[in-house]
Amino acid sequence: MPVKPSEITPEKVYNRRRVLIAAGLGVLAVPLLDKGYGMLQQKQEEKLQPLPQVSSQPNVQSLPLEPTPYDTVTGYNNYYEFGYKKDDPVKAAKTLITSPWSVEVGGEGADKPSIYDIAEIKGEHAIENHLYRFRCVEAWSMVIPWNGIKLADIIKAAAPNSKAKFVRFTTLNDPKQMPNAGWAGGPYVEGLTIDEAMNPLTLLATGIYDKPLEQQNGAPIRLVVPWKYGFKYAKSIVKIELVEHMPQTTWWLQNKREYGFYANVNPQFDHPRWTQATERVVGELGRKPTLLYNGYEEQVAHMYPDLDNRLYFY
Amino acid sequence: MAVRLFSLSLPLSTRKHLVNIGLCVGLIWGSYNAIIGPDLVSELRDFTGRYGAYLLLISLLFTPLSKRLNWVKRNLSMRRNIGVWGFIYAAMHLLIWITLEFYYDWELMLDEIAGNLFILLGILAFMLLLPLAITSNHRALKRFGYRKWQMLHTLTYIAVPAVIAHHFMAQKSDTLEPLLMGLVLVLVLVWRYRNAR
Repeated sequence: MPVKPSEITPEKVYNRRRVLIAAGLGVLAVPLLDKGYGMLQQKQEEKLQPLPQVSSQPNVQSLPLEPTPYDTVTGYNNYYEFGYKKDDPVKAAKTLITSPWSVEVGGEGADKPSIYDIAEIKGEHAIENHLYRFRCVEAWSMVIPWNGIKLADIIKAAAPNSKAKFVRFTTLNDPKQMPNAGWAGGPYVEGLTIDEAMNPLTLLATGIYDKPLEQQNGAPIRLVVPWKYGFKYAKSIVKIELVEHMPQTTWWLQNKREYGFYANVNPQFDHPRWTQATERVVGELGRKPTLLYNGYEEQVAHMYPDLDNRLYFY
Repeated sequence: MAVRLFSLSLPLSTRKHLVNIGLCVGLIWGSYNAIIGPDLVSELRDFTGRYGAYLLLISLLFTPLSKRLNWVKRNLSMRRNIGVWGFIYAAMHLLIWITLEFYYDWELMLDEIAGNLFILLGILAFMLLLPLAITSNHRALKRFGYRKWQMLHTLTYIAVPAVIAHHFMAQKSDTLEPLLMGLVLVLVLVWRYRNAR
């Protein structure tokens, strides 16, 4: 079809269009610029001490906690070894064999290393029930009735020595049972300081709602640390080591700027790409304010002397 | 399969109706899946956002691909349907965010926009897409005159990058998909820049 003279765009017009298209390329570069800016800022923050003042807010949430429905807790999960989407684990995790299961407790900080059968763990220690808030780093939350034992019980039984400064958790990583086992390039590793591990809030959960853990929730045994973001709650644990040096955790290795070792909940310290000031309660409408240490300030604040140090809060 | 369907000798208007019905059913099907799922809000929000972004990106592919592929060329005017559907999905996405996620808490929403570059980008994209969607009809084209209308619709080359940047920044770690979308978009933009007329 021949081009009519009226359809030929004058040079001035297409130059203007070109400006807009170039601006589009600029907009596409915004995430990169943002990341670069964030890294620069972090470097400066590291130089400047002390960090900006943050005031401690009183714990406003003393309302009774309403547990999230069982189907939601077992249907909306992050368990990347079974896929990236929230409903992948419930569909794909049935292949995880949770019995027999043993947990190795050791490391240079343990004078009495041992290998437990999961039944032994459940049998030898008192199972406690705790209704805890759960806050994901992605800014959603639930309230979960856990059943489990105190991690402190297991650690005491391992006779920690002076080298036991940190606890390193390793989770199962079996491509035969986990379709996306390779996502992090190795087993999922999490860690706590020995003080955090000995804190009475810290659990090794074996159930929720008085039922054994479902595979998608980290069966048969997982960590629970309610004042920290959810990625700290290592699932399907096979090894617990008492170690001298701070473990290199999986999410920290994924992105050192966004997911640190401590990862304590703090509404004042934003994730580099989204705010942590509020959270979406899964299954409910609207959002609510996030609490310092997820509402467990009284029990845990003494472990972190410096409330202004970002190190503790991402 | 799509190629085959669209090289059938169905009249263009019928093909357009098929696309419209398909995307409408898609919206209903996706919403139904979200409703039966464990978390209505995030699933509705993410499904409409993701597929809206796909549709908008696809709408930009029509012109460059039509130079090489005959079946795309024959369906070139479908571009507008796809673009408008992309806008409808995006509008649903925003509506869900306002109503279900924030429950009309405007103050909190403003805080969230101020603290989140990726939400700001999303809002910007929507504000650019709105006039384009309103003028995506023959009457508006006639009223503006082709050149002015085309100039206005060049804004899509800013809006869609903002959408993809928004999508990229909303991910926790799995950024492969938005990166691929960004790559496709860069190719489109570079081609467009070189072939602006």
